Amino acid sequence: MSNRCSIRMIGFVAVFALLFATHASAAPGKIVIGHPACLSGKYAKAGEQAIGGIKACVDWVNKVYGGVTVGGKKLPLEYKYYDCESKKEAVTSLISRLITVDKVDCIFAPYSSGLTLRGAPVAESHKMLYMDHGGANNKIFRQGFQYIVQTIGPASRYHEGTLDMIHKVDPHAKRVALAYEDSEFAKMVMAGAEEHAKKLGFKIVFKRTYPKGVTDLTPLLSALKAAKPDIVIGGGHFEDGQLFNRQMADLDINANALSLIAAATLPAFYKALTGMAEGVMGPSHWEYGVKYAPEEAKKVGLPWIGPSQDEFVNLFKKALGKDIIPDYHAAEAGAAVLALVMGIEKAGSVDSDKVRRALGDLEFMSFYGGWDVDDTGLQVGHSMVDVQWQGGKRVIVWPAEAQTGKLYYPMPTFAEKAKGKLAVPK
Amino acid sequence: MILEQLIGNLIQGLVLGAIYGMATMGLSLIFGVLRVVNVGHGAFIMVGAFIAWWLFSALGVIPILAIPVALVIGLALGFIFYYSVLRRLIKAPELASLLATFSIGVLLEETAKLIFGSEFRGYNWAVGKITLPMTVLPMTKLYACLGSVLIAVLLYIWFNKTRAGTAMRSVVEDSEGAKVCGVNVEGVYAMSFALGIGLTVVSGVLLTMFIPVGINPYMGGPYTLKAFVIAVLGGLASPYGAFFGGLVFGLIENGSYTLFAFLPGVEPFALTRFFSCMMLLVILLIRPTGLLRAK
Repeated sequence: MSNRCSIRMIGFVAVFALLFATHASAAPGKIVIGHPACLSGKYAKAGEQAIGGIKACVDWVNKVYGGVTVGGKKLPLEYKYYDCESKKEAVTSLISRLITVDKVDCIFAPYSSGLTLRGAPVAESHKMLYMDHGGANNKIFRQGFQYIVQTIGPASRYHEGTLDMIHKVDPHAKRVALAYEDSEFAKMVMAGAEEHAKKLGFKIVFKRTYPKGVTDLTPLLSALKAAKPDIVIGGGHFEDGQLFNRQMADLDINANALSLIAAATLPAFYKALTGMAEGVMGPSHWEYGVKYAPEEAKKVGLPWIGPSQDEFVNLFKKALGKDIIPDYHAAEAGAAVLALVMGIEKAGSVDSDKVRRALGDLEFMSFYGGWDVDDTGLQVGHSMVDVQWQGGKRVIVWPAEAQTGKLYYPMPTFAEKAKGKLAVPK
Repeated sequence: MILEQLIGNLIQGLVLGAIYGMATMGLSLIFGVLRVVNVGHGAFIMVGAFIAWWLFSALGVIPILAIPVALVIGLALGFIFYYSVLRRLIKAPELASLLATFSIGVLLEETAKLIFGSEFRGYNWAVGKITLPMTVLPMTKLYACLGSVLIAVLLYIWFNKTRAGTAMRSVVEDSEGAKVCGVNVEGVYAMSFALGIGLTVVSGVLLTMFIPVGINPYMGGPYTLKAFVIAVLGGLASPYGAFFGGLVFGLIENGSYTLFAFLPGVEPFALTRFFSCMMLLVILLIRPTGLLRAK
């Protein structure tokens, strides 16, 4: 009786173990991306773009690419997101929820360096892959996180192209003014710009920060005016960028070049400022019109994945149900989806450790451009472009290989702009 | 050079301060009469900003003409929110009205987002500039400043020379006493709330004349914070004190920046905020009821 009972028991345990093992080793039916998205709050605009970009690429992967190949099976991608209201507290709780309740396979970080940094330790504690598409601050990658991978380019390189371009076009321009938002991201951009400017022989004649949520830059700009700079570079996010340009116009501060991060590349910037934005530049991770294509990838020996630029734009419009051209926030979020797909296929698994290792060895090109990360997960393979407003249109003016038009230099004065002068080269 | 920059910034500060003051008068009025802290204050400023932007962008109406439209819309919103929400909470614990006004603010922000989206908007009403030796002053800023002063004067006259204004003051003094004297206290509450909201919405229009960019559903946050500081500075229950407090705040903010900019190794903007808060503490220590004592 005792023996029978033991045999039954062993049999029961064996069957249970077999069932469990079968379940554990079975490939998942789908791959779920979790995202604490900025649907509302101060990053709502960038958040909406990111959602559109992710949805567009998820759609492409599922319908055109046929799914993600894992263990010989094609698995569909699923995208699950909640509104983090652009708030740090919500980011941490939503990441926990996505991992523990929704059982997602990967977390996409929210927009901005601050929110990305806030969420990183939570993803890290769950040993979950954390795809950073909108957090450019280099400091994120100096914290020793193991599971973070960046798609957006690092902040320290934002203004390198701008300075290189002006150095080439006007070697006599020497006086640079730096005025950035007092945020981790913007200060990192400023440090990178200062270092690069000095390397090129520019003289920093003004260097100040202004607080987040600033509503009046008049005192700072009055001091900047007194420094008589040839080149003014700065900014932080959207609202302060508009304010910066507007109040420079109000105070008649004229420089040969004005380049603002984040704000200046968005259509809303010109819409709000109209002619005052003529000739203003901004660095961008991606712009509609860049010429990344499978042929170019072949030329540089990189594998290509993803939709073409126009396909992406159409999928983006369909995803958001709006007839708008995506900006770089959408493109970088979409490219992060493509990186994830390539990483999973290279790893042959959805396990975060394996995918993270695979992403470390990955190098590819998509509509977004090159993609490659270093050991810390920092993006090193993507080049930025510089955009200038010319006649109400965004024109890529740098680097030469990505140009869709020539640089207009020096920028018209604000008095000229008020009389209707456009920054269109002859 | 320092003096030139200082005077220039003080002129700019005075202009901005008048608008800050105007933007705080509604908050002080509501607190003075109803003892309700309107945490959703910034959202009503946002409504005014959108009214100015929309009228200018869609219909070509200049922002000055948007002021009466904003006042009507603000009054209407004030009455609606008073009779639908605030009326029931006047006698409730303070937390209830605090949460209610916070919710109203969120409701307005999300409604604006639903209608206009989250884009940062702006308009360009070009009416020239005055070039002074020490600074450049766009006419729009000057109009906004004059508009603020004019509205503050009209409010003063209304408070002191009309029966409705006198009734309102009597409720501020002693609501029970006013009731005994035959004042319709309930009506005064409704009127005060509506007028407070009306003034706040109008200040949103004036604010866009000073800064006609960055108009978006969530723009009100920083102004709410500033309005609270200014209201306490001027005397929380005193609308004129709030206006005066705004002027002082604008002068401190802009003037101290210029001085701090000459200290080596410091970020003047950070010190400006510190200095503004220090000034607030000092003034409160000397005059706990604010610069102009509430009557």
